Amino acid sequence: MSNVETALKDAASIDGAIGAALVDYTSGMALGTIGGGKELDLNVAAAGNTDVVRAKVRAMEMLNINEEIEDILITLGSQYHLIRLLKSRTSQGLFLYLALSKDRANLAMARHQLKKIEADLEV
Amino acid sequence: MTAEAEVLGELRRLRARLPQLTGALAASADGLVLAHDTVDGAAESVAALTAAALGVGRRLTESTGQGGFRELLVRGEDGYVATYAAGGSAVLTLLAEPRINVGRLHLEARRSSTRIGELVDRALERRDLNRSATPRTTGPTPNPNPNP
Repeated sequence: MSNVETALKDAASIDGAIGAALVDYTSGMALGTIGGGKELDLNVAAAGNTDVVRAKVRAMEMLNINEEIEDILITLGSQYHLIRLLKSRTSQGLFLYLALSKDRANLAMARHQLKKIEADLEV
Repeated sequence: MTAEAEVLGELRRLRARLPQLTGALAASADGLVLAHDTVDGAAESVAALTAAALGVGRRLTESTGQGGFRELLVRGEDGYVATYAAGGSAVLTLLAEPRINVGRLHLEARRSSTRIGELVDRALERRDLNRSATPRTTGPTPNPNPNP
C-alpha cells in the first residue's frame, strides 16, 4: 500500500512523465501534484479535467450505459494526457491525472503502470 | 463606460463562465454594493456581511502572520460563499451551488477579482484627481460613499 506522495512519485517516474496530480472531482481541487512547472500548471489541469470527467460521467448517464469509467485518454500533438478514475471504497470521487511527452512515453506501459499505482494507493 | 457598468460586465462574464454560480456581487471593503448580478434582493445585506467577514478574515490572517487578506471560502450544506480581495478597497463575493468545481471557481474568481480591483482602484484615482482639480465635478464613481 502506498500513500499519496509515494503514488505521485511513482507516477512521475513513469517514462515520459511531465507531471501528475491526484484530483478530487467533487471539488476540482488537487490533493497532490508532482512535476508540471511553467509549461503545465497542474492546478489548472486539475480544475479543467474535473469538467472533462464530470461531462463524461453525465454523457454515460444520458446514454443509459451502466458502467464505470476506467480511464480517459486525450491525445495531443506532442503529449498524452491520461485520466484514471479511482475505484476503491476510500478513494471514490478521485482521479489520477498524468501528462506524458509523446515521443518519450510508451502509452501501453504507462497505462499499465498507472493501473498498478491505483491498485496500491490508499488515500 | 462607467466603472459600475464595467464591473457589472465583469460579473456577468464570470457567471457565463461558471454556470453553477448563483450570484455575484462586488462591494466596497466597508460593505457598500458596487455592482451585483442576481443576489436577489439581498445584495445589501450580503455586502454588509461580507464586510464583517472581511474584517475578521483580515485580523485572522494578520494575527497569524499570513500577510494580507486574499480570499475566504465558506461551505454551507446547500452551497458555497466565496469572497476574494479585489484591489485595495473592494471585494468580490460569489454564491455557488454545492456541485461547483471549486478549483475552477478559484481560478476564474482570482482573475476576475484582479480585474475588478483594477477597475475600482482606477475609478477611485480618477475621482481623487477630479476632486483636487475641479471641486464641482461629481462624476459617476463606483463607490459614492466610501467613508460614511
